[in-house]
Amino acid sequence: MSVLATLVTAAQPVPVPAPPAPAATITQPPISYPAIMPILIILGAACVGVLFEAFLPRHNRIAAQLVLSVLAILVAGWRLLSYADEMPETGTITLGRALAVDKPTLVLWATLLVLTIGALILMADRTVERGGYFVADAAVRPGTVQDRAQAGRGEMQTEVFPLALFALGGMMVFCAANDLLTMFIALEVLSLPLYLMCGLARRRRLLSQEAAVKYFLLGAFASAFFLYGLALLYGYAGSVQLSDIANAAAGTNRSETLLFGGLGLLVVGLLFKGSVGPFHTWTPDVYQGAPTPVTAFMGACTKIAAFGGILRVLSVGFGTTSWEWRGVLWGVAIASMVIGAVLGLTQTDVKRMVAYSSVAHAGFLLIGAIVLKPAGLSATLFYLVTYGFTTLATFGVIGLVRNADGEATHLSQWAGLAKRSPLVAGTMAFLLLALAGIPLTSGFVGKFVVFQAALSDGMAPLVVVAVLASAVAAFFYLRVIVLMYFSQPAEDGPTVTIPNLWTTGVLTVCVLVTLFLGIAPSLVLDWTSSGVFALQ
Amino acid sequence: MYETATILAQPPAPGGPGDLKSYLPLILLFVLAGAFAVFSVVVAPLVGPRRYNKAKLDGYECGIEPSPQPVVGGGRVPVAYYLTAMLFILFDIEMVFLYPFAVTADALGVFGLVEIFLFIATVGFAYAYVWRRGGLDWS
Amino acid sequence: MTPTYYLLLSALLFTIGAVGVLVRRNAIVVFMCIELMLNAVNLTLVTFARINGSLSGQVMAFFVMVVAAAEVVVGLAIIMSIFRTRRSASVDDSNLLKY
Repeated sequence: MSVLATLVTAAQPVPVPAPPAPAATITQPPISYPAIMPILIILGAACVGVLFEAFLPRHNRIAAQLVLSVLAILVAGWRLLSYADEMPETGTITLGRALAVDKPTLVLWATLLVLTIGALILMADRTVERGGYFVADAAVRPGTVQDRAQAGRGEMQTEVFPLALFALGGMMVFCAANDLLTMFIALEVLSLPLYLMCGLARRRRLLSQEAAVKYFLLGAFASAFFLYGLALLYGYAGSVQLSDIANAAAGTNRSETLLFGGLGLLVVGLLFKGSVGPFHTWTPDVYQGAPTPVTAFMGACTKIAAFGGILRVLSVGFGTTSWEWRGVLWGVAIASMVIGAVLGLTQTDVKRMVAYSSVAHAGFLLIGAIVLKPAGLSATLFYLVTYGFTTLATFGVIGLVRNADGEATHLSQWAGLAKRSPLVAGTMAFLLLALAGIPLTSGFVGKFVVFQAALSDGMAPLVVVAVLASAVAAFFYLRVIVLMYFSQPAEDGPTVTIPNLWTTGVLTVCVLVTLFLGIAPSLVLDWTSSGVFALQ
Repeated sequence: MYETATILAQPPAPGGPGDLKSYLPLILLFVLAGAFAVFSVVVAPLVGPRRYNKAKLDGYECGIEPSPQPVVGGGRVPVAYYLTAMLFILFDIEMVFLYPFAVTADALGVFGLVEIFLFIATVGFAYAYVWRRGGLDWS
Repeated sequence: MTPTYYLLLSALLFTIGAVGVLVRRNAIVVFMCIELMLNAVNLTLVTFARINGSLSGQVMAFFVMVVAAAEVVVGLAIIMSIFRTRRSASVDDSNLLKY
């Protein structure tokens, strides 16, 4: 897709009234293949995955898909690391200025790749849920005879692996997109597979399908807003390049209606993807209804991609007009933190509670994103890294607490879990403390650096609200911990399923990263603060 | 709004899209097509033989077969029809990129040709998936 | 025939679509309203392409069309699956997930 975008970008200078196809050759924009190699590998592997689905026999597919996807991610990561050494200090802008590969991009890409490996391993676990988390045949109607027959079959829809790779490719392009059209295409490439993956749960298929419908309708609605914003900005600047928009806004006295109308609509679409309140309404429903490994993938990776995009749009495209719109985003950040913290208190379902926590976290992230200085950028990137690992592990653990009907996500079922399974309860407690931002966890350091950056930019009132909101949010995390440790377990309470070795490994790594970043954050902080966005 | 209007005001160029004269051949074509349709409908019953049977009274290539039971939900239209329609839309719209390519094929050179074949190949992967998974079987 | 009229028309179509998404109850109709919004954007894009005298807006409309088609396919598949189960495409009936 992105290569095609290059071709049409190259075709731009042809004036409209002139007859098409002048004999003159169109010069090909230079392409830095080493810079975009990780994206090409991921999307190429996704295409191969589709061919696997077409030609491999059913019983071979899951192993082949898992090996292919993990291998592709590892190779992409290797190319990424080797490119990181040779990249010029200011980054590379390539493919006719469609993609900007710079230090923040590399940080986001590396995080996305690592987290996706974890999510893929969770998805491939077939010991926790017999046959896997995903339905054997999604086309069979829930509740019918055929559906009961397929529930016993130990198969699953292995299309989730290529779909996850496509989503990952979309997220990587989204983080690096330097013009709004590329960003829109990437937005759709990352969203469409996620809509489908949400509807593929093996258990509670009605809930899962309902989550998919809601996510799809609201997501398409939001992307229409993004697109109308894009069109207005194109009318304003005559281009959808972020830097052209910034220059147009700085240099002329053109219609501000188009500029701010366009920016507003564009930001609505972006905030929706980042599940920032008040555009969060899909989040709890989708997080609850989707298969838990998909929720883990969405919760961790979509947030990272969305905020990567928000950071770039705000600082590269609209940095010159920040004094006009920053007040509005102050309000949005406050709304998001308050909505997340207050509504999180009233939840009775663990997955919904973590969803509201993610809305509150989106508010904290937005504070970092509107600082618009290198300190804010590096703080937000660090926060994204910490949040990604913690969320992945949290949903991984939630998927293990089960009873005969599948996952036991109601809070009352978690009562006294520590007596049944001290290890899982302890892990969950630690992860919840990290989400609350208690010292010695990565969540504390993440909040600390974001608040510090905000204070240095004169946003003290916002920081006060944020601290209050995190105090309120800490209450509902602690409520779960108290429930797990100081309540009597119910008679027919859930049991903790022992996952396979790979899943255990993923959870262990995520918990260790959460701990490590809380104790010795400087390594990753150096990494996230090593560069700024490429401007051109 | 005022500022918007000032940058937007621009008269249509003579002979350009804003000029209605250039639509004359198109209008003539419509008139011709309409005349032919009327002619066929009016003249065919007058000169042709009349032999009716069941097949002739059927809807001719009008897509959806009427369902036996118009129950809400169950079987309004055959599900296979949706599948075919969706596949058609997908592959049909993908081809929109071939038009700009075809128009500028000379100017784009070898690189453009390689790219468009890569694009067709990716669409081909999707086609292979649909074909192998029975998406094209009408049953 | 100033291009402003086209912009007003497309803004109107976009608004009709957005209001339709909010007030209509049938998932298919909601989805059609979203498509209307996308096509309103296409009209805006080609109008601005004419005003700015550059082809890029028209090319963007191509991309939007293709994305809309992909969205239709994914969306109809999802809506169909839930419709076959519930025998209703009303968005009000999708009410298992709440609070």
